[in-house]
Amino acid sequence: MLSIFKSIPTHMDYKGQKLAEQIFQGIILISAVIGFVYGLIIQQFGWTVYIVLAGFAVSCLLTLPPWPMYRRNPLPWQPVVSEASGEPNQKPQDNIKRKKHK
Amino acid sequence: MNTVLSRANSLFAFSLSVMAALTFGCFVTTAFKDRRVPVDIHVSKVMLKNVDDFTGPRERSDLGFLTFDISADLEPIFDWNVKQLFLYLSAEYATKSNSLNQVVLWDRIVLRGENTKLNLRDMKSKYFFFDDGNGLRSNKNVTLTLSWNVVPNAGILPLVAGSGHISLPFPDQYEATKSY
Repeated sequence: MLSIFKSIPTHMDYKGQKLAEQIFQGIILISAVIGFVYGLIIQQFGWTVYIVLAGFAVSCLLTLPPWPMYRRNPLPWQPVVSEASGEPNQKPQDNIKRKKHK
Repeated sequence: MNTVLSRANSLFAFSLSVMAALTFGCFVTTAFKDRRVPVDIHVSKVMLKNVDDFTGPRERSDLGFLTFDISADLEPIFDWNVKQLFLYLSAEYATKSNSLNQVVLWDRIVLRGENTKLNLRDMKSKYFFFDDGNGLRSNKNVTLTLSWNVVPNAGILPLVAGSGHISLPFPDQYEATKSY
């Protein structure tokens, strides 16, 4: 049962996180401007609040779940190193250390 | 921003900040508005009695009774930053002991969306017009003013005096107290 939940991908990559933040800020700011102008025209501040709340709901829907569009730029991880080929990989690291000491 | 909860947190905080800014904007658009409107007050009957004032030092004090008409159009006061008006009719006069006496005679709450045309005829005062002595008899300058508190959604709570007050003289004689 738990493994089903764990198999659902929940992460966003770094660019996806930035995109999500820009999307919700844009939506809320636009709905705030629309709501303020509309409330000012009809002289009802309640409608301003309702419109901002609607923008809040829309941006919750768009940015809270980790939609696939926030996972388009996965980090390029190093390939998994097997135990057998472990020794040759250590040599370059030793080289780097030596260079630093020079 | 990497988990659902942290995104929900920043989204909620940002929305609240935006809402606070909008509320402040609502206050700014109405902060410098003139909320005075002309008020027409007419007093049709003035009666003066001298009765025992049991709240005071057991002496007889002046008690006035007024019958008045008020008409005003409160529509210009209402805008998107007004929830309700608290109207009150106050009497101001000077006596020998006090240079300024203020007595609230009547009040009314006008909610947003209610009828804003005030047209009241032959109203009796809601509260007793008691002087704390004998300052009402033959007082020639008792000024009635209709004022209001503007209760806003956000911002300051203005206290506005309506333009158009009336000054009336009180009679020289007390009304004969009937004993039953």
